[in-house]
Amino acid sequence: MVADKGKKSKVAERGEEQDSDHVDGELVLSIEKLQEIQDELEKINEEASDKVLEVEQKYNEVRRPVYIKRNEIIQSIPDFWLTAFLSHPALSDLLTEDDQKIFKYLVSLDVEDCKDVKSGYSIVFNFSPNPYFEDTKLVKTYSFTEEGTTNITGTTIKWKEGMDIANGNGHEKKGSKRPLTEESFFSWFGETELKNFSDGVTDEVAEIIKEDLWPNPLKYFNNEADEEDFDGDEDDEEGSEDDEDGDQDDDEEEDDEDDS
Amino acid sequence: MVVDKGKKAKFAERGEEDSDHIDGELVLSIEKLQEIQDELERVNEEASDKVLEVEQKYNEIRGPIYRKRNDIIKYIPDFWLTAFLSHPALSNLLSEEDQKIFKYLESLDVEDFKDLKSGYSITFNFSPNPYFEDRSLKKTYSFFDEGTTNITSTTIKWKEGMNTANGVAYEKNGNKRPFPEESFFSWFGETQQKSISEGFSDEVAEIIKEDLWPNPLKYFNNEADEEDFDGDEDDEEGTDFEDEDDDQADEDDS
Repeated sequence: MVADKGKKSKVAERGEEQDSDHVDGELVLSIEKLQEIQDELEKINEEASDKVLEVEQKYNEVRRPVYIKRNEIIQSIPDFWLTAFLSHPALSDLLTEDDQKIFKYLVSLDVEDCKDVKSGYSIVFNFSPNPYFEDTKLVKTYSFTEEGTTNITGTTIKWKEGMDIANGNGHEKKGSKRPLTEESFFSWFGETELKNFSDGVTDEVAEIIKEDLWPNPLKYFNNEADEEDFDGDEDDEEGSEDDEDGDQDDDEEEDDEDDS
Repeated sequence: MVVDKGKKAKFAERGEEDSDHIDGELVLSIEKLQEIQDELERVNEEASDKVLEVEQKYNEIRGPIYRKRNDIIKYIPDFWLTAFLSHPALSNLLSEEDQKIFKYLESLDVEDFKDLKSGYSITFNFSPNPYFEDRSLKKTYSFFDEGTTNITSTTIKWKEGMNTANGVAYEKNGNKRPFPEESFFSWFGETQQKSISEGFSDEVAEIIKEDLWPNPLKYFNNEADEEDFDGDEDDEEGTDFEDEDDDQADEDDS
């Protein structure tokens, strides 16, 4: 990179020595050397980024079959994802009562990175046949381009007659006045513009699902179950409330492990 | 990890007639799921460790290059002052008084702890000056496993009447400044974490470490180019236009 020759005159103004050409020359040379150093640093940083990406790609491949195994096990747990959503502090607020009814048909959730990790990822909700929409798969995909922009695509939901709660075309409930207009979670699939947040542009819901729920949904599922146990007056076969204390200890241990 | 036995009761409520059988299956599924999560956690920890290894290795490579860089920067007068003043965020932090003090700034140094994750420090090295006794002002961030951050910083030994950080050298000639100019040097006294929703952040530290330190020349050059753009100096090489276009082309390339 050629040093800015215009600096010569700027620096000449500042130079106090009489031999200003000599001083100028030194400064220009220093700036040129500095630019070489920056170029060297940039090469190193790129190399570091590539190596880090390699590690992430490798471990993503290791995780993939584990996630597939996990999905199979989850099929044997009724309403697993619904329960996990409802016990997640942020996600629970996003599900209206109607949404919860639809989530009873949610068979599995899948979050999958592009093979090279950096190009993007998709979030897939798999449903069994249901009275709400024709689709069995609702997908939202995020593609990151080299220039740094993000492209978002989302399934256009094929709602059945009178069921489109995402666009306010659902059946009105008789006589019920809702205090707030409840926005359906499913409108998220139609949101293909990134919202502007102070720390950049993000799709918060996507980030929460991908970074928080997906890695360990059992953590949230368990909290829900424990809360019910805490509140409930079920007859606990095992004995007294001591078990609830025991449960909490388990939670605490879980939390410690998650932190590490 | 022992499965929450209380769940048995919860599922019993939902289960069909053969409730013992279904309970058993469900409990088993949840246990298997927990094992999977444990497995995933081990994989994730291994991945984090490998990533950290890579970053530590490259930090070691960068170390001597940064030292070489500091040696070169000493030959460029007011380098860090210029870079600060042309950084969109940092320029706002320097009062006029601060800028005078920055004329004595010899070098800046940002150094991670060897293992990277434990923290880092930012050091401003000054030549002897009329403002404070110290030659080195340092702010250090230490991260602990529990997630807390400890911040320590040099207590500046201001010379008589020079303490701009605490508003002592404030009113000259009885002039009232239109707004209280907070000195950049008060940043060294800020060792309480601000409570920000995302967790710890000292924005100034982050900007210096993540943005300025990796490539200060980028900002230094912008400043110089701006002066050339405004200036009406006689350019030996030719017209102002040609050189300015060249400069901009260079910037685009970088």
